[in-house]
Amino acid sequence: MIAKFLSELDERTGWKKVKEALLDRRIPEASGWQAWLYTLGSASLLLFAVQALTGMLLAMNYVPSPDHAYDSIRYIEREVLLGSFVRGLHHWGASFMVVIVALHMLRVFFMGAYKYPREGTWMAGVALFMVVMGFSFTGYLLPWDQKAYWATAVGTNIAAQVPTLGPYIGKVLKGGDVLGALTLSRFYAFHVLVLPALLILFVGLHLFLVVWHGISETPRRKDQ
Amino acid sequence: MENEVSRRTFLQWIIASLSAAIGLVLGGTGTGYFLSPAFKKEDEGWIDVGSVREVSRGAPVKLEFTQRKKDGWMTVETRSSAWFLTSNGRDFVAFDPRCTHLGCPYRWDADKKQFLCPCHTATFAVDGRVVSGPPPRPLDRFPVKVVRERLQIIPQALESGKA
Repeated sequence: MIAKFLSELDERTGWKKVKEALLDRRIPEASGWQAWLYTLGSASLLLFAVQALTGMLLAMNYVPSPDHAYDSIRYIEREVLLGSFVRGLHHWGASFMVVIVALHMLRVFFMGAYKYPREGTWMAGVALFMVVMGFSFTGYLLPWDQKAYWATAVGTNIAAQVPTLGPYIGKVLKGGDVLGALTLSRFYAFHVLVLPALLILFVGLHLFLVVWHGISETPRRKDQ
Repeated sequence: MENEVSRRTFLQWIIASLSAAIGLVLGGTGTGYFLSPAFKKEDEGWIDVGSVREVSRGAPVKLEFTQRKKDGWMTVETRSSAWFLTSNGRDFVAFDPRCTHLGCPYRWDADKKQFLCPCHTATFAVDGRVVSGPPPRPLDRFPVKVVRERLQIIPQALESGKA
């Protein structure tokens, strides 16, 4: 019955070909610890899925205002069923994301996998790295505790050191002259609307190019 | 040796079960978090007003209390009051301190043994009945109970006429 349903569905959607192209691709021969290096991209994608899911749930109870940000997070931690677990996943997922993405980037760099014809994949990846950094910077402020506040104070002050344009960059980042309500709502908008849109765009491009070009071979010595 | 399950099939099973496990944990957690408002115990809203000894037999007393309404992580506090009386020291009655006519606060007239509303000179008997004046119904009552010698009420009027 299920087989019949799946083949009927295939006639109408062609999902089997899509699955073959996405999951049954030919990939380079790799073994031992080197094979694990090829999992870092998928790991980043899984982490993104976890961050998106937990982020959607957290946004149901979080309020990005100086009056309510800290209290609403304390409410999630103490009163919402599984709230501290969901927030914990988002918190640790964020740290893992930066680590895994950095390792993925190092893997591609040291194996020279960014070279012709995969420059586009690499550049989309660099854009994704920037977006992840943006997520980290904006997400760090949202708890609105001492650490969040002062870390963002330092971050925006560093940006304000740029010659000539610095003060304007600082104001744009903060949404005003001081770090406060406007900064928080601005960072929240970036964290949940702007950056996810950019991320989905570049993940789509990145994955398309990965499938299009295939995975590059592990580099080998000439005498091997 | 004959392989009954190929290496490919075995690995596909492993991948499928790991994915299912991850999906189950994430899906279950998300579902629980999302549906948690449905399981949350409703706050009945009993408010501690004071010791039962503050209400003496015969004369009604107006007691003040603080009402705390929870709205998520916020608590809104309002000062409020109610008239209490008892005939035997065990059973208590609590009246809404607003006249049922237009909501004016009324007072206890100790000489006439009646509640007197100054706005339109309405009077109520000690049991809340309308004696004279424009009020359309007896004084509204609040649910009241005694827990370990403490008076507790819900400051929300019962349907008029009901005890």
